[in-house]
Amino acid sequence: MINTKNFFFKTAKAEKSNPVSSGNPVSFGNMRSGVGKLAIMASLLTASSLMTGMTTITRAAAQTVAVMDGQVHTVTGSIIEGGDIIIRDGKITEVGANLSAPAGATIIDATGKFVTPGIIAPHSTLGLSEVGAVADSNDTRPNNNFPLGASLDAADGFNPASSLIAINRAGGVTRAVSVPSAGGSLFGGQSILVDLTGKNNSLIKRSVSQSVLIGGGGTGRAGGTKLGVWAILRETLAEAQTYANNPAGYRQLSSDGRYKVSDLAALRPVIEGRQPLLVSVDRAADIRNVIRLKNDYGLKIVIVSGREAWREARALAAANIPVILDPLANLPSDFDTIGSTLKNAAFLNQAGVVIGFYGPQSGTHNLRLLPQLAGNAVAEGLPYDAALKALTLNPAKIYGIDTDLGTIEVGKIADIVVWDGDPLEITTRVSDVVINGVAQSLDNRQQHLLERYKDLDRGDKPHPFRGGN
Amino acid sequence: MVEIARYGRKGEMGSKSLMVTTVLLCSLAIAACGGNQDKKSNNKKGEVAQSGVPSRDPFPSTYQPYMSEVTLIKGATILTATGEQIEDGSILLADGKISAVGTAKDVKTPKDARVIDAAGKWVTPGIIDIHSHLGVYPSPGNASTADGNELTNPNTAEVWAEHSVWPQDPGFTRALAGGITSLQILPGSGNLFGGRTVTLKNVPARSVQDMKFPSAPYGLKMACGENPKRVYASRGPATRMANFSHYRKAWIDAAEYNKKWKKYEAGLEKSNGEGDDKANAPKRDLKLETLAGVLNGEIVVNMHCYRADEMVQVLDMAKEFGYKVSAFHHAVEAFKVADYLAENEVCAAIWADWWGFKLEAYDSVRENAALVHAQEGGCTIVHSDDPTGIQRLNQEAGKAMADGQRIGLDISEKEAIAWITANPAKVMGVLEQTGTLEEGKMADIVLWSRNPFSVYAKAEKVFIDGALMFDRSVPSLSPRTDFEIGQQENGYVGGAGQ
Repeated sequence: MINTKNFFFKTAKAEKSNPVSSGNPVSFGNMRSGVGKLAIMASLLTASSLMTGMTTITRAAAQTVAVMDGQVHTVTGSIIEGGDIIIRDGKITEVGANLSAPAGATIIDATGKFVTPGIIAPHSTLGLSEVGAVADSNDTRPNNNFPLGASLDAADGFNPASSLIAINRAGGVTRAVSVPSAGGSLFGGQSILVDLTGKNNSLIKRSVSQSVLIGGGGTGRAGGTKLGVWAILRETLAEAQTYANNPAGYRQLSSDGRYKVSDLAALRPVIEGRQPLLVSVDRAADIRNVIRLKNDYGLKIVIVSGREAWREARALAAANIPVILDPLANLPSDFDTIGSTLKNAAFLNQAGVVIGFYGPQSGTHNLRLLPQLAGNAVAEGLPYDAALKALTLNPAKIYGIDTDLGTIEVGKIADIVVWDGDPLEITTRVSDVVINGVAQSLDNRQQHLLERYKDLDRGDKPHPFRGGN
Repeated sequence: MVEIARYGRKGEMGSKSLMVTTVLLCSLAIAACGGNQDKKSNNKKGEVAQSGVPSRDPFPSTYQPYMSEVTLIKGATILTATGEQIEDGSILLADGKISAVGTAKDVKTPKDARVIDAAGKWVTPGIIDIHSHLGVYPSPGNASTADGNELTNPNTAEVWAEHSVWPQDPGFTRALAGGITSLQILPGSGNLFGGRTVTLKNVPARSVQDMKFPSAPYGLKMACGENPKRVYASRGPATRMANFSHYRKAWIDAAEYNKKWKKYEAGLEKSNGEGDDKANAPKRDLKLETLAGVLNGEIVVNMHCYRADEMVQVLDMAKEFGYKVSAFHHAVEAFKVADYLAENEVCAAIWADWWGFKLEAYDSVRENAALVHAQEGGCTIVHSDDPTGIQRLNQEAGKAMADGQRIGLDISEKEAIAWITANPAKVMGVLEQTGTLEEGKMADIVLWSRNPFSVYAKAEKVFIDGALMFDRSVPSLSPRTDFEIGQQENGYVGGAGQ
């Protein structure tokens, strides 16, 4: 997914966007033309991919912050009225009612407001794309004929200065997983976990997941059929297994050189069941095959999109497979999505499946609309607390960072959002954001544009003299 | 029909007569109840008048309201979209029309009326989307169904969206469950002149003519900026300056064509229809016929235009050739020229917060709708351009309203509702028939479970010309298209509200 809003106009329907693809491979305008640049990046890739596994999630932050007197939704099962949160050096040190703010603390008055953990976007392209249709600003997806897939690493394209970061931070998003999209390969490459401070050190964890296209999005890359998709997938996993068994001797064993060593190396943590494989898939029959795949290879699987996942809800729960879904997707966009329904989130949750949300319609530019998606899921029967979890704790669980993030608990990293009303309500806005225990600016480019143009009087000087820097 | 050519903004409608007129009871037993009274054209399909002057309406609407019963919705909060909010309000639907609207004590309950207790619920006019591609880019989306962009020439003013509309698009049913009662279907934006639009009532139907909004004028879809210049990069127009040269050349041709036909028609009038008129008739040109319709004020210009500077240029061009642009669609930068748009009486049809998918959508502010609205005479429309977005225009308007309130603009529900009802109706030329809750208008009405500017609000019942076309609590009142019927087990999918 480069961006979900159909970039240009409706040429072929892109209503259903496959999260790892850019939609129609023969779409208009070659959005990606940076082959040369990518080739250079690829040459650096072997070195960079060896540096994966940075596990430090937080950074020391010598600041004491006290969020006082809010309705605190801890997402641990409790709501504390008049709740206080004390934060020291980046971590939550106290949570409760009637606490005292430490001397010298930065006080955030949350009286009459809602307080939640920061929103974690489990599937985005944050920092990889500034303007969808502007090729030089978009590093989400290689061309269809680009040879590498799994080895591509979002870390190599991540731009912490992207304007999307501050804009979405002002909407309460504090962390995001940034997922590259598949080009010619079935595999999209390695995702990263970032925080939304916009700082140079905001890339928190590398190689948090790999992604693959199984459904309709994959067939165009596999000879036009799902048969081809599964043949290539099984062959690739077998080859990755061979590589993992003996990396040093692999070149001798390799018969035809169809597989790039860098791709196989990137798949090693996947085949060893250590790294989640995000599988973009919709049709119930394909989902059943994915469950078998997980069992056959011992993979850690996360389903993305999963329009018909509700039909396999119990099996997915039993197989411990989370689903990252769009709760608004209710149209039969193609013959993989006949069973699309607004009840998907509620049914999956009821069966015990861990769910998260993403919004192909609004895309990474509007991760700030994730609460609206959650609110709509609630309107369709998802319990409120489950919706809040899907925005916070569940993404942390999916990526194995829930010991540090996702709830308001003593000892966790202090990512906190204060809202001026029900966080899932469309008329609610964010009043404060804390990331890594540091109160964040809500300033952003859109705010400056507003300042510049809210008064259209000609004035003494033209508009470009207004609105700050 | 009562007064009201004005649309609701800032309470300018003031107080309004709420008298209950004589109600022609329309019982379930009377099959012909609510006939097609609005049908204007008597043309038979494809008929050319004897004079040689082509029919203005060769594919006339065959829409007829469905069966309705006299219904009183009682005790609701009513947003009339004329700037009023009525607490403990009632609205009476009879013979497919709004028969009365006012406070509960002012609206009498006719004998035999079906009474719906709506305490705690809200009532609004049917929601209207001015920008949809339902039917022309339907679900499922594939090469067989993609019929919305005739990318063979930068000027395809000769194509009509209605000839691409697939009435079986499941998207229509989903939109209905979101309260959509009328919508404008446009060709895509790959061309400078995309073709004619069509305005529909959102009723399931076998033919598009059965959906066509009676007497609604045609629209013309035009496009600025990036899309046409990208599509025609190798053939031209490849630049914005060439976009303009192509527009202007087309208007010059259209003016010429118009002159020829006007001369011919004047001659006919003079000769009183005698002589060999048909032989002297100028040759028809479908492209120029549409453009001439714009110059004659019969066809409404809907112009896709993101950038502020381009909107200003387009308005100068409209002055040069003497036509009117009624709305800029996707006007992401409208806030930069909101004063100019208001002065020129052009509406801005926009999203609440979509941005960044291309460079001309980069300068976005969430206050765009509110800033346009806040201008004296400003006209905001919230549109979807999307089969998912169309299901929740109420939420889009709600977000935009909230953002306006936060910068201190005095905008409440009673005004913001016009962004998705009265204002699009005005541009689409159907405000006299629908778009507000006023006596005599079509009973296009949505009953909401609560304040519609909430994420939790649901359209519970949707009436079109008084006929109950969707009822969330009654599965049999949830239409399912031919494409979806009988697919797998359909308990939870495949119909309106699913």
